[in-house]
Amino acid sequence: MPRRRSFPFYRVLLLNPLIAIIRITLPVTSIQEKQRVKAPAPGPARPDPPALDPVTPHPAAVGARAALAGEAAQVRAGPARLRRAKAAAGVAGALGLWALLTQTGLLGRSEFPSVQAVAAALGGSAGPLLASLGTTLESLLIGLGIASAAGAVLGVAVGTSLWADAATDVIVRMARPLPSLALIPIAILLAGLGTTMTSGLVAFAAFWPVFINARYATRQVEPQLLDTGRALGFGPRELLWRVVVPSAAPAIATGVRVAAGIATVVTISVELVAGTGGLGGYVMHAQEGGATALMYAGIVVGGMLGWLLSAGIGALARKALPWDPAARAAA
Amino acid sequence: MMTPVAVPPAVRRRVAGRRLGLRSAGWLGVLAVAAAWQLTSLILHKPALPTFTTALSAVGPVVTGPALTSDILPSLGRALTGFVISAVAGIVIGLTLGYARRLGDYCTGVIDFLRSVPAPLLIPLAIVLLGLGGQMVVAVVVAAAVWPVLVNAFDAARRTEPLYLDTARSCGIKGAALLRIVVLPAALPMVMAGLRIALSTSLAVLVVAEMLGASSGIGYFILQAQQTFQIPQTYAGIIVLAGLGWFLDTAFLLAERRLLRWERAVTRDRHG
Repeated sequence: MPRRRSFPFYRVLLLNPLIAIIRITLPVTSIQEKQRVKAPAPGPARPDPPALDPVTPHPAAVGARAALAGEAAQVRAGPARLRRAKAAAGVAGALGLWALLTQTGLLGRSEFPSVQAVAAALGGSAGPLLASLGTTLESLLIGLGIASAAGAVLGVAVGTSLWADAATDVIVRMARPLPSLALIPIAILLAGLGTTMTSGLVAFAAFWPVFINARYATRQVEPQLLDTGRALGFGPRELLWRVVVPSAAPAIATGVRVAAGIATVVTISVELVAGTGGLGGYVMHAQEGGATALMYAGIVVGGMLGWLLSAGIGALARKALPWDPAARAAA
Repeated sequence: MMTPVAVPPAVRRRVAGRRLGLRSAGWLGVLAVAAAWQLTSLILHKPALPTFTTALSAVGPVVTGPALTSDILPSLGRALTGFVISAVAGIVIGLTLGYARRLGDYCTGVIDFLRSVPAPLLIPLAIVLLGLGGQMVVAVVVAAAVWPVLVNAFDAARRTEPLYLDTARSCGIKGAALLRIVVLPAALPMVMAGLRIALSTSLAVLVVAEMLGASSGIGYFILQAQQTFQIPQTYAGIIVLAGLGWFLDTAFLLAERRLLRWERAVTRDRHG
């Protein structure tokens, strides 16, 4: 990849020794290693990588530059590996800042436990934490699964029919601002305090983004693609499976990703309000018992859960839907 | 991000002819849902599921009663306070980090992690830090609503057309002025999309925070009504909240259309 080779590696080393430490601790690929050896002596840092320097102020070049703006932004950000190293350095820095503030006593010990205390809590009560995480994941994944399947199927079905689309239009617009979290008391009344209630409410809340995206993407399928399919002699069933579904799939995947975030929030809210255990219940109990470090440990686990869900669904969608422009951009 | 596909003229004409029918179909759909609710509750005859008409008729007394000043208005105030703080903080931090590319690179990991924390999980923490009450609710709202704004502002600022920046720089504009004159307007459509999400997030999280740690507000009202088995009032509270959400969203869309008159694609894509 010529782009990677042209990246001025020495500049980053000059700018932040933290990166260098991470580079050394992480296995470095041979190309990058060679690059470092070959790199010339550090000169004055230029504001832009070479790809962006205005070489020829010809109008055509300006147009091409505008067309390449998206790609240029990626060049500026640097290779994905370096980006990740920088992000990790940032997290390490934030943890360091946290440690510094708690160690020097700038932040009160009772409300802000030290990094070591939280780490110890994470390690010491890994068992109960994982158990409550399992409870949370169970209701979350059941609800999300139901919502994704129902949302995708109904969304595509409604999107293919002009009248069904019109009939659901106002409902969708009313359901969107409807705060599902306010339905927790009603869900408790209707379905008790079990996993059924949690999963049901999660399914209801997570259904809407999937349904809305599936319906919208189906309605927006490129007419040329449909015409091409018809010209190739596709019947309604083939048209659905070979044109409509592949076209709508990336948007549906986006909907599922949004739904996963909503599902996490709803699951944890139900656990907090209804006191049905899980990660929400765990954090609540830790707070009520004054175990602040445990509370922070629970929050950290919750953050990891949310991050892994979102990143996992994103990676899965990129793998499964290689024709999606977003997948190509990320590759 | 989906780009709207141009509708062929033939289809457009057909749609225009049926528009009246289609619009009434939308309301017929709502009517169908209401009728289904009514029938289900009449058949099941459970106290937990009052009829649609019972729930709807409970809205009037709730809105005109003491709950208006003790619960509805405080909730509205908290939601709006949280929203405004999130908007300002999100825009300022997001644009700055997005523009200061090197600094931004180091912050992506922290931002990604913090925004992945499910906001209700922070309610116990907020109670520890701020105690019970309105302040805690506003803090939780900010902790939830700041992320869509911040992340959108960050991404949009990073994608600012380099030509604009170069042009402005060659005119001698830099620093905060560059952010205000070039980066902010270029990022505004995406920032507005983030703000809209933040608005609905504010209301959603507000309710949970009020259920857990406040003695006033719509969330408190709904949970209190449920625990005292005033079922129609519980439903009425939810309907009021949904109405509030709908009203805020509509008001936001109007403001957005005014603010982004120059950006047609946004208004065209409005109800997707």
